[in-house]
Order: sequence, then C-alpha cells, then structure tokens
Amino acid sequence: MSDSTQRTRVVFSPEGIGRLALGWLVLSVMLLSAANAATDVERELPDDPLDSVMWESMANRFFPGGDIVFDQRVIVDAPLSAEDQFFLPVTVDATALETNGLHVEEIVAVADLNPIPHILTLRPLEADAFIGFRVKLQQTTPIHVGVKTSDGIWHVNGVEVDAAGGGCTAPAMAHGISNWMETLGQTRAIVRRESALSTRLSLRMRHPMDTGLADGIPVFYMNEMQVKLADGTALADIELYEPVSENPTLTLKPRVSSNQSALDVRARDTEGNEYVFELPVPDLVVGN
Amino acid sequence: MDNRRRIFLRNSLGVMAAGCACAMCGGANARTLQYEFQATEIASRTWAVHGRNEYFSLENGGNIVNVAFVEVPEGVVVVDTGPSRRFGEQLLRLIGEKIPGKPILRVYNTHHHPDHFLGNQAFDQSLVAAPQKVIDNISSEGNAMADNMYRLLGDWMRGTEVTVPGKALDAQSEEVGGRQFSLFYLSGHTSADFVIRDDETGVLFSGDLAFLFRAPTTPHADITAWRSAIETLRVTDRDLILPGHGPSDGRGESLEQTLDYLDWLDGSLRESVSKGWSMNEAMKTPIPPRFRALDVVDTEFERSVVHLYQQLEDELMPSIQISQ
Repeated sequence: MSDSTQRTRVVFSPEGIGRLALGWLVLSVMLLSAANAATDVERELPDDPLDSVMWESMANRFFPGGDIVFDQRVIVDAPLSAEDQFFLPVTVDATALETNGLHVEEIVAVADLNPIPHILTLRPLEADAFIGFRVKLQQTTPIHVGVKTSDGIWHVNGVEVDAAGGGCTAPAMAHGISNWMETLGQTRAIVRRESALSTRLSLRMRHPMDTGLADGIPVFYMNEMQVKLADGTALADIELYEPVSENPTLTLKPRVSSNQSALDVRARDTEGNEYVFELPVPDLVVGN
Repeated sequence: MDNRRRIFLRNSLGVMAAGCACAMCGGANARTLQYEFQATEIASRTWAVHGRNEYFSLENGGNIVNVAFVEVPEGVVVVDTGPSRRFGEQLLRLIGEKIPGKPILRVYNTHHHPDHFLGNQAFDQSLVAAPQKVIDNISSEGNAMADNMYRLLGDWMRGTEVTVPGKALDAQSEEVGGRQFSLFYLSGHTSADFVIRDDETGVLFSGDLAFLFRAPTTPHADITAWRSAIETLRVTDRDLILPGHGPSDGRGESLEQTLDYLDWLDGSLRESVSKGWSMNEAMKTPIPPRFRALDVVDTEFERSVVHLYQQLEDELMPSIQISQ
C-alpha cells in the first residue's frame, strides 16, 4: 500500500453479476469504514511492467475477481521477435506457484493488441501448470499470462513480442489446399512418461483455426479440449480461441500414475465437430 | 484463385526475410544512409564486397551480404545486388571507381532472398539474369519480402521496388564479354539456388548454399536438398569460394562448416520433436562449442526452429486414429 500513488485504482465491473454487484455496492458503502471492504468490487491494479495501453482492460476482462500480482514465477517463454506472425511459440510454466498446498486453477493467455485478445485458458485439474502453444499475432503486442491460484490470486507475467502485421486477418494455409476438409482433425501425438506420476503430451491437430477476420472465411476454430483418464477422471480442460495458430499444437503435462495406461482426449470445434481419441501412455523407461 | 494468391503472399509474409552476413566487412552510416563498402580483390580483377555477419538492422542498412564484381575483357559481371535500391546504386558507383569506363554486361542473382536481389533496380533489367525458378520466386515473393525489409530497415529502403531479372538462364555455361562462366542449378537453401563459376579465375560464387563463420539461415530451406547441393559443390573444380555470407574461402571450409551445422541442426530438431518438446523448449538446446565461431548462431538457431519444426512434427509425430 505504500506505493499506492503509483497504482491505478479501477472499478471492477464484470458482466452477469449485476444483481450481486448492486448488493455488494450497498454493502460496501455501508462497510466503507472497514479497510478491506473494497476487495470484491474494487481492487488495486498493479502497474504493468510491460506498460501495455490495454492492461486495465485485459486485467478486468480476463483476470477478474482476485488480487493481481506480477510474479516472476510465472515463466512466459516466447521469442522477443516473431519469426512468423502466424506461429509464435509460447510456453508457460507456472509450476513454481504450486507450493504450500496451493494449486493452479487457471492459466489464461492474452495477446493485448490482437483484434481478439483471448488466446486460451487451461484448467490443469490433474496436470502440471504448464502449457506450450502457438499463437497468431496481428501486430507487435504484449502477451500477458494470468495464473489463478487456489487462494484466488492472479499471478501475472508477460512478454512483449515484435511481429510483422496481419497474423489474424490472413486466410489459413488450409484454404490454399482444395481438399483441406478431408484432413480436418487429423491428429498426431506423442505421450511420454517423464516420471512415475507425470507425463508429457504433445498434440497436433489439423484445423484451420479461422478467426473470421479473413475476407469471406467465417469463424471456425477448435474451441475446447478435455484430457481425461480412461476412468473419467478429468486431467486438463482447455478453452481455445481464435488466435491459436492453425493446426493447434499443444504441449501439456497431465499427471498419470503408473497404473494408468491411457489418456482419453475429446476436442470440439465451433461447428460442433467432435474429435475423440485414446492415447496409450508408455511405461516409464528406466534410465530415460 | 484470388484466395490462392493471398495464401502465397501470406506464406511469404510469414517467412521473415532471410538474414544472412567479418574483419574485412564494410559498414553503413545510418545517418547519411551511406553504405561504407570495402571492396576486396579476392582474385585477379575480382572484387568482393563483404557485408557484416549480422542480421538486418537500422544500423547496418542491410549490408550483411556478399556481393561481387568481375572485370572481364569487354566489361563487368556482377553477382548479386544487395538489399536495397540505395545499395545497388552505391555498388554501381563503386564498380565505376574500380573499373572505370567499362560497361556492365551481366548481373546474376543467386536466389530470391531480399539481401541478394533488391539492388537490381540500379541495373539495366535486361542484363539481370537468373534461372527461371529464381525469377518465379522473386515474382511471387519479392514484394512481400520488400515489405518486410521496409519494416526492418526503414528509410534505407526508400524507393526500392522489386526488379525481376529480365533474362532466364538454363544453359550449363555462358560466355560474357570474353569470359566463360559455368552455371549450376541447385536448391536447398531455397527452392532455387544458382551458383556461378568464373572458369578463368576459378572463383565459385556459391550464394547462400555456403556460409562461413556466420550461421546459415533456413526460412526456405530443404535440408536434404541442401546437403546434396553441398555434395555437388564439394566435387566441383574451383580455386576459391565466395560464400553468400562470410570471408572468401580457399580451402572449402565454408562447405564443410555449413554441412556440419545443417547436420547438427537437423539432428537436434528431430530429437526435440521426438521428445515432444515445444518449440520454446527446443530453442533452449545447447549449441555445440564448435559452432560458437559462427556469428549470430543463437538467433539463427531460434529462427530455424520456427522454420523447420512443423514439417518435422508432421514427419515424426505418430498419427492417431480419431473417431468423430
């Protein structure tokens, strides 16, 4: 609080909680004398180290609710310059946050200056707080990743990436191939056991991931994916959005004990197509 | 059709301009936009203008490439023209100083990367020659590359327009102004790489099939084809190689170094893909100490991951049966 002069105080106004908000407002006015009354309606928004012009908007839209802290333990790994604005590789590792009984509930990645900022949300239910993905960039932009821990706090970090323009408004490569529909959903995957409890899942699915922003091509993208054990235990839920690169390629670390031998993956796109497959989990190779 | 054309543009836009670039290298003055060329006579009446072993920047103005000119009995032959109109014009002036009073008879373009042909504009288009496939590549991707060069080099690029070579070559050799040149039609660094040998001096102008003490670039690379092109060049008679980037090479070291690097690059990326690593994780692969002698190897390795990874994923990741 000592540096509150440098902080921006914003009123948080999420959609869909109007009724509650009004009640809370009245309540918080009543309790104004209490120092901590403002937490549900108002929160301190720390200055963005990346100095993004969109920071307040990104924080309010995508990291709602809890307090926000910038936290170096959220590792956002991406090249500082996008060699290809259609495929910027990003790997997020927030496993360092999972100490003292805390676990990561949500990882939300946004590209502030994309016409559609939200890239994806991962809920690592029974998985390490880790994800690799690729994203289309419309221009040079900050990328913020918010990681919500079980105490309700958003731990945020990010990078600014230089990019040539147009990643979100050009047609996908698929539209240059006459039979692209035939290969839709074609899947490649590698599952490796990294320890007795954890695996690495690398998944690549053929999909144009059309943003709807290229001339004459309607929006069409893979929008959800669930990774489960054969017994139905959910390991990871992912919401994908338009900016995820064509042929989405994801790296995850589901926790799979050694008596489990398969992962069930179910993905769905915005046309309602479902893609369901099973991936065998190999035994741990000793000495590997 | 319209769509396809856009795809083409989009694909070429997607690939950032190929960056390619020494103790004898010239520099550039970003305030006056003057390239500070240093022409080195690498063989009899054969000058190389060595660029810096860097990536494109506002400071170097794109002077990161080797271009060359040769005095032949009746005139001058030029190999590659640099990244900008300004570069081409200043190169032309330099040629006039070194070889006064002789006409330019031929300008060769080794391939379609922007640092090698965007200076064409300073020369008579009918004299600029390349294999048809190089011409096609310049026609289809040249504008997108020029756009990106404006982004990277700013005012250095002012007035630069793509000038497509006016003459398509397919002969195994040609005589220019009383000198015989052997012509080699290869690929691997790009889909069309053109190599020229001056049969009198034995200088082999390898274009970007060979790099020396500068990490090779791969935005359009086909590693298998590139290896086989190097095999061809290894057994080609020559006295000296002028690589696309780096110092001139009398011992064939550029071919060995390039091949060694490509072998390592390919092998390391294959291993990363097979382990299920993300691109970012693959970018962290330690670079073997012997490649520390290669300028900009860290950034070029990162770029190469982006260029080559997806193709290897499609090759190496096992296909999965899905039910829809």
